[in-house]
Amino acid sequence: MLAIQILIDGFAISTLYALGALGFTLIFGVSGVLNLAHGGLMVIAAMIAWYLDTSLGTGPYVGALAGLAVCLVAALVTYGGIVRPIENSRAVPAHERELFVLTATLLWGVMIQEALSYAFTNSPITVQPLIAGTVSILGVRTPINEIFIAAVAWAVMGALWLLVNRTQVGRRLLAASINPRALTLLGFELDRIYLFVWIIYGLLAGIAGVLLGSFLGSGSDYVPGLTGSAFTIVVLGGLGSVSGTLIAAYIVGYIETLTAYLVSPSLREVPALILLVVVIYMRPQGLLGRR
Amino acid sequence: MSRKKTAFAAALAGAAMAVVPVAAQAANPIVVGITSEIGTIPGKAIANGATLAAEQINAAGGIDGRPIKLVIEDDHLSTTDAIRSFQRMVRQDHAVAIIGTFVSEVALALEPWAARLHEPYLITGAAANELSEYVHKDFKAHQYIFHAYMPAAYLARAVCDASKATLVDQFHMKTAVVMSEDAAWTKPLDAGYDECLPKIGLKVLDNIRFAPNTSDFTPIYQKIEQLKPNVIIAGWAHVGVQPTVQWAQQKVPVALAGINAQAGSDVFWKATNGATEGVITGSTAAPGVAITPKTLPFTDAYVKKFGYSPAYSAYSTYDAVYALADALKRAKSTKPLPIVHALEQTNMVGTQGHIAFQGAKSKFAHALKYGPDYVTGVALQWQAGQQKCIWPLKLANAKAKFPGFVPVPKS
Amino acid sequence: MSSIPKSRLAALAVFLVVLALFPLGANGYILGVLTTAFYFAVFAMSWDLLFGYAGEVNFGPTFLIGLGAYGAGMSNALLGLPVPLAIAVGAIAAVAGGVALAIPALRLSGPYLGLITLVSVLLLQQAIVIFAGVTGGEIGLSVPDVLSISSAANYEYALGFMLVSGLILFLISRSSLGMILQAAGQDQVAAAALGFNATRHKILAFAVSALFSGLAGAFLVFYLGTASVSAVVDISIGVRVIIAAVLGGRRTIIGGAIGSVFLIVAGELLRPIGQLSTFVVALIALVVIVLFPDGLLGLLPHRRGA
Repeated sequence: MLAIQILIDGFAISTLYALGALGFTLIFGVSGVLNLAHGGLMVIAAMIAWYLDTSLGTGPYVGALAGLAVCLVAALVTYGGIVRPIENSRAVPAHERELFVLTATLLWGVMIQEALSYAFTNSPITVQPLIAGTVSILGVRTPINEIFIAAVAWAVMGALWLLVNRTQVGRRLLAASINPRALTLLGFELDRIYLFVWIIYGLLAGIAGVLLGSFLGSGSDYVPGLTGSAFTIVVLGGLGSVSGTLIAAYIVGYIETLTAYLVSPSLREVPALILLVVVIYMRPQGLLGRR
Repeated sequence: MSRKKTAFAAALAGAAMAVVPVAAQAANPIVVGITSEIGTIPGKAIANGATLAAEQINAAGGIDGRPIKLVIEDDHLSTTDAIRSFQRMVRQDHAVAIIGTFVSEVALALEPWAARLHEPYLITGAAANELSEYVHKDFKAHQYIFHAYMPAAYLARAVCDASKATLVDQFHMKTAVVMSEDAAWTKPLDAGYDECLPKIGLKVLDNIRFAPNTSDFTPIYQKIEQLKPNVIIAGWAHVGVQPTVQWAQQKVPVALAGINAQAGSDVFWKATNGATEGVITGSTAAPGVAITPKTLPFTDAYVKKFGYSPAYSAYSTYDAVYALADALKRAKSTKPLPIVHALEQTNMVGTQGHIAFQGAKSKFAHALKYGPDYVTGVALQWQAGQQKCIWPLKLANAKAKFPGFVPVPKS
Repeated sequence: MSSIPKSRLAALAVFLVVLALFPLGANGYILGVLTTAFYFAVFAMSWDLLFGYAGEVNFGPTFLIGLGAYGAGMSNALLGLPVPLAIAVGAIAAVAGGVALAIPALRLSGPYLGLITLVSVLLLQQAIVIFAGVTGGEIGLSVPDVLSISSAANYEYALGFMLVSGLILFLISRSSLGMILQAAGQDQVAAAALGFNATRHKILAFAVSALFSGLAGAFLVFYLGTASVSAVVDISIGVRVIIAAVLGGRRTIIGGAIGSVFLIVAGELLRPIGQLSTFVVALIALVVIVLFPDGLLGLLPHRRGA
């Protein structure tokens, strides 16, 4: 009984972690950018979805779509207003670009957090689940929303896989992540590929943000934590490796759930953090990363 | 004189008339500092409660003709900012007293500074026992501090008194699990629960503490469910939305009561999308319930001014500003010790009940006196989107009832 | 380095004398703001030694600061050590932490090291909460002794400490150690080929950075009278340190001090806009970083590239 509970609960959490981290790793894989405003984008999607639904009465579906749209816009602003200017700046030496992007997106995340806190206070909220009610799985009472979230998350991840592996544009993405210079030589515009990947990223972050908001809640104070957990999972799995990210998400999700069930809920995060330190130290490229 | 000029002269005269009395008054305002966390609901309520009280006191003539001038500063939930702002308000603004913060951690960091700088300081929302125990420990040095809210031990007593009258007497509940967030204020609260719950006939099956940043409460609810208690007695303030929503979404078959501080706010229904239906929480006051003749006029004025209803800390801050104004009048001085001695004599009807502070001998020196004759708070329950008062019974406007997924023991 | 014009030295001396005489004119409020800013300046300068010179992405300056702060606070509150001795204990704890961080730094770089340092802060935070009995947990730890309750005295302590730390860090950065660190930070293999023992120098850089971070953390505790997670350990404090260093101008040491004073004074000036002040400060910092990557120091006309 307990084992099944851990299995179900861990699965839902892990799937959300995976979806949340996927866009983060994609951006890094293709364009080498670590976006530390990631959590901010996810929270924007959730807050907008919640606000439209509960305060303007648009219903959960319109709210979720609007949240997605605003998140996409915010992702494009992140790229066009912050990341691109730094990457194109001659004043920033190439070997320091990474730190500048990190610092700038970090600041951008702080701005998003403060703006959300100003507009909606920092009190947490929950996005209304798209499907209410519970169902019994092998004797474990499970909210249908949890199953729905897992299904949507896997559908999105499947679609992404198809896009990358089965379409023309996806192959270009892969090529860009492996060797950007060669791609430029072949006459493809890297700029357009980057723009495309940031659009995908914005949509992924938005979907993850809204779903997370309906399962674990959201709020301006969630911003640093969400960025941190995506960062952790992505590095553990290997920066830029999509399958590594998925595996790492499930490892972290299940370790946390096991700790919470079998040891103590208040120690939930500790074993995963220690594991992370050990793995990075033994194998800096992460579980499936290439170097 | 052209018409234009006449109009101008008239306007000038009008302006002069408007300015003169204000200038005469403003010549010597009494400054009171407010330190709070403006980005949070209870923190904003502290600033609002103080603003409303000061406006009313000034409209009624101030303190012997001198108006109160508030200096409101945001400490951003940071002890460093709070200490800096405290020192600033004392030294720069010459605040005669400082009021505020609902965060025990911040209040505990400010207390030594109140003692060092001999600044009267009224804490209006933070609940740790340590706050007034600190005053008791070295009374002579720490007497400047007043805990103008209930210590957690009293909050626990209020929950037990309310649970006895409702859950035990009306619904024959016999077992409970205590579930509190890990924070300064819940340690004494849990100690209080563990002591008084068995006395009222609720056996404590387990005491679960969880980190305030817990994201998924499923493991905790699963564990609780296996113990089959009748009720969860909560100790939540930093968390609230997430455990409440998961309780409802997962249909945890256990009643939810105790203190769920965020559920005391009227925006909680929206924040949880109605998941709070059936949740019971201890609070300072409930909508439409006249604890004293001052309660409803305050709530009405507050809603009119700010457009939403007051959180618990608004009541305690509003009362504290009135108690301070009253003390200033009696003390006929703005020096620290006369203010402290006058505050000790406080004996007034506030919005929360009868306001009086405990003496130096009490373990909770300078905390609010607790009891039916003083302040007890209320227990309220969310029913069909409304906060209903279910305790004290003489004030109650509804009887407790529980959602379908919560079984109620048969007598 | 040796060719700093005399007129500049004189200007600097006048500036320092004016700073030291500030308490005669300024009120307690301004002194209080600057006192905090000066301790922050040391945080940022120590961080710059690691990043600017050694190229180490340290996302966890508050790991070192927190160790110093809690080491000092606990030895004063629990063991009753006098303030100077307690500060020394804090500094030792921080150096130990710095050396511990240097070990992964020998193998890792870039975001990997960044994450390790970030995790070290989270683990320290968890440890403080778990061992609440001795650390004070979420409540924070009140220390019985403070440096002084006089704002002027606190200001002079902070100013003196910042000037001495800044001078030492500056000299280190311009010494052979700084050069070797810089070389190793950009190309470790080349530095090793030239016969430098990069390992030893890196550990040394971490130890020095930790020493000053820890000392500043310890001083801050005895200025505030309290050690708490929100004041000295929280990630957001570390973020402010990094922003200050990059904003002021990285790889200059002094830039860290300028950035810190700028951030804290700007925060105070923007107090009237209340809640939005953090937003505006972050916006200013972002604009500077995107448009003027050399930071505030880079805007000065006479500065040549380091």
